[in-house]
Amino acid sequence: MNRSLLETDVVVVGGGVTGVAVLRDLALRGVHAVLVERFDLGTGTSGRWHGLLHSGARYAVRDQESARECIEENTTLRRIAPHTIEDVGGLFVLLPGDDEAYAGKFVEGCRASGIPTEELSSAAAHRREPLLAPDLKLAFAVPDGGIDSWSLLRSMAADAEARGCRVLVRHPLVGMERDGDRITAVRVHDAVAGEDRTIGCQWVVNAAGAWAGGVGRMAGVPITMIAGKGVMVVMASRYVRGVVNACRKPADGDIIVPQHEVAILGTTSEQVDSADDISVAPADVDRMIDMCAQMVPAIASGRVLRAFAGSRPLYKAEAPAGGGDAEGDTREVSRTFTVLDHASRDGLDNMFSIVGGKLTTCRQMAEAVVDRLAERMGVTTPCTTATEPLPGADHGNHQVAAPLARLERDQAYGELLCECELVTRGQVRDAVAGGLTELEDLRRQLRVGYGPCQAAFCAWRAAGMLAEAKGNGAAGDGSGPEGSGAPAGTAAGDEHPLAGLERFLEERWRGQLATIWGDQARQALLNHSIYRGIFDLQGLDLPDEAAAALDGDTEGRTSSRAGEG
Amino acid sequence: MRADVVVVGAGPAGLAAATRLAEAGRQVLVLARGNGFTHWGPGAVDVLGRVGGEPVDRPLAAIDRLPEGHPYHLVGQDSVRDGLDWFSRFTAGAGLLHVGDPERNRAQVTAFGTLRPTCLLPEPAAGVLQGRVAVVNFAGFRDFSPALCAARLRETGIDATAASAPLPAWDHDRYFTAVELARAIDDPGFRRRLAPGLARAAAGAGTVVVPAVLGLNRGHEPWADLQAQIGTPLVEAATAPPSIPGLRLFAAYRSRLETLGVRWQFGFPAVGVEQAGDRVTAVRSEGASRLLSTRCQELVLATGGVAGNGIEANRDGTLTEKVAGLPVQGFDGRLAYLGPRFLGEHPLAAAGVRVDADLRPVGPDGEPLLVNVRCAGGLLAAHDPTTEGSREGVALATAARVAAQLAATAPALRGADHEPPGPPAR
Repeated sequence: MNRSLLETDVVVVGGGVTGVAVLRDLALRGVHAVLVERFDLGTGTSGRWHGLLHSGARYAVRDQESARECIEENTTLRRIAPHTIEDVGGLFVLLPGDDEAYAGKFVEGCRASGIPTEELSSAAAHRREPLLAPDLKLAFAVPDGGIDSWSLLRSMAADAEARGCRVLVRHPLVGMERDGDRITAVRVHDAVAGEDRTIGCQWVVNAAGAWAGGVGRMAGVPITMIAGKGVMVVMASRYVRGVVNACRKPADGDIIVPQHEVAILGTTSEQVDSADDISVAPADVDRMIDMCAQMVPAIASGRVLRAFAGSRPLYKAEAPAGGGDAEGDTREVSRTFTVLDHASRDGLDNMFSIVGGKLTTCRQMAEAVVDRLAERMGVTTPCTTATEPLPGADHGNHQVAAPLARLERDQAYGELLCECELVTRGQVRDAVAGGLTELEDLRRQLRVGYGPCQAAFCAWRAAGMLAEAKGNGAAGDGSGPEGSGAPAGTAAGDEHPLAGLERFLEERWRGQLATIWGDQARQALLNHSIYRGIFDLQGLDLPDEAAAALDGDTEGRTSSRAGEG
Repeated sequence: MRADVVVVGAGPAGLAAATRLAEAGRQVLVLARGNGFTHWGPGAVDVLGRVGGEPVDRPLAAIDRLPEGHPYHLVGQDSVRDGLDWFSRFTAGAGLLHVGDPERNRAQVTAFGTLRPTCLLPEPAAGVLQGRVAVVNFAGFRDFSPALCAARLRETGIDATAASAPLPAWDHDRYFTAVELARAIDDPGFRRRLAPGLARAAAGAGTVVVPAVLGLNRGHEPWADLQAQIGTPLVEAATAPPSIPGLRLFAAYRSRLETLGVRWQFGFPAVGVEQAGDRVTAVRSEGASRLLSTRCQELVLATGGVAGNGIEANRDGTLTEKVAGLPVQGFDGRLAYLGPRFLGEHPLAAAGVRVDADLRPVGPDGEPLLVNVRCAGGLLAAHDPTTEGSREGVALATAARVAAQLAATAPALRGADHEPPGPPAR
């Protein structure tokens, strides 16, 4: 059933940072565009990574083109999106047993790529990062940082929407209508309304990242993406003030990124068959911990919250560039990006793909593809995304203590819904008033359920607020402050409020399965005794297909669909 | 230090065992890391709520359907009855009357509007839902959603509506917890100011369901008083931790133990034992700045399973009993601990120490490893307190068995109360 026919100049496929950056670039040039995303913004690779704002130093030895792109965009993002960035800096540490010759190449590579470095003695490095291994030999300071991709996504999307473009989440692409050499429309499925929609368009930009090959197939053009899985481990506290990298050839478990209240250990690099393979094996978790504990020994006995995996969007050019053989360790594939003009490449006149790259360079990727598109469209307005600040930029850099400061300012302790992440009922109320109905989306937006207690308290408090907003049981509720202002016609309008809670708990569980021992084991069983023991939830409120998907999980491996951070 | 019997753990099993042993004339010391499951539970006495996921109607009869090695099989139905009888007498004497019949389960309404099967309930939670049910929260209390509760009750076919009652002006209008609200409700004046708003929210209802916060230190009197003031049956729903009914029970135990002259060491985790052959001679615990050694004739371990912190689940997939290093049934790697669904079952919850019929820990050959050590409650292998709904029943039944074992021989111990500790354990 075709409910509606939308018309636009450009359809952008993919709601990761690249797609949203493309949308914003088009909006700033006055081009009308519609972005379609199969789940929510940032549920693919953009939400499943360690949160490093690259200085480029990680690429300085092997991939200087990527390194130069990184340092350039690092500077640009600090200018246009400071509120998404925690300006924590980074170190590359040289441990006993590391190759000192590599350190020389590293410094030279950084110099050649334009990345400022400062050599620190062991003592100076320890003053900056007291938990570093006592026997480290020396360290190099680089302008790494932390960046919150969901905050960046929200800002870019809000800017694009304010300029007339549209974002359609939960609208997976289901097909394209092609007339000879041109795509005339894309078909999407409105997963909320349960209907297909057709969007007539002049141009298509494929920004589906690791899933770009699938979009290409629908358009009838071959695009070979390599699925490069990376596993990351979330520790319950930060451990480090800034980013800590091992000063060696990139390998498993060589980076620690502080983000909000946690630290993220990264990563593995493994070629897998599908970008949807985001499973995590206990052995991956153990390796991350053991390797990162070489740099920060306290991590070995620390509390692990969960583990997750993301898929690097690696593009395999037709003629392999640089002779890198991508079998096995996908770190060998260049992390720069490529614009594919399908007119010259495949005889499809009005589609571009933007492939490869990384979060730090998303704006530059968008500029490159939109420059090519604008030229073909006859749009002469130049790109201004590098100079036009994003909404929220006037707040300055993100500070880790900002949520606590806000709580203190408002004296809002009684409003606290999530003590771990300092989320208030007011914030949830605002999000619900804005139409949010799914606990998982609430987590990405407000970090509900992210903290050490792993949703022991906040999830059911939030479910209660959703129930109140939906008007379940609102009859006779005249005297309380809650229970009014329900947004009608929500996604799961006829679903039991406990179904969303169960879905949330099961999604969280899949991220925890490989990381449960010690304190987390106790926490998991206590949470089980709350939800199943006290509240008597038996897991029966989920729709059958969702339950089957949970039960059908591959033996010995765990995965989760929704974004992490 | 020395004691006749050292009980390690202050959860449902340790508290009952210590009280019963002291009542039997033994000189008891309680060593506890911190609060136990009283503070985390639903405020009920579960004996056997479910077998194979299905609700159980007759808990004692259903014991036959439990797997081999279950603690109920080891101690027998008589110990279960003994445990429940003793508990009923003890709580009635402490102003915390429990109602229910060991032969038949009853339903406890929860904050989610589910009806959980349980056996004994404290009076404030025991009312039957009749007529229209008004689910009422106290305005500003974060941990109870009447909308969520009422929605689920309606699905069960119960005519339920959600409402909110205003709180009188008090000191905590900006921020309060269940404990602060319950303490305020202890005050008769506060209740007089609270009652009219509660009555308005409950107007026309046959039953009023509220969060379990009706008083902390006055037994069930605040509940009875409020119920009389609003003139409608008032039911406390099972509410999120901290459990106010559990805190009431804990306070009753503590008061009773003090009356019996039982010594407490709270915040002193037991970390090891000293042995002579197959006997434990002393327990080591962590003091503020040093290890303490307490000599004892008998040791009762009621430290809990993994959830209760009696057992550590290690990263390498092994399990360690934390006081005496007793063998714990193993699993094949970390993932075997856990089910694929959070709300399903988790083998880790049933991890524990195997014991003989006298509750002494046994080795692989079934022979006792330590002859003067008894294990009780969640520490025991082969039961899953949460999924079965058997936590308090197993605690009380095994405490009854321990009491029966140790009541007989009670040597009066004399001598210096304080001794230097033995060589450090680490």
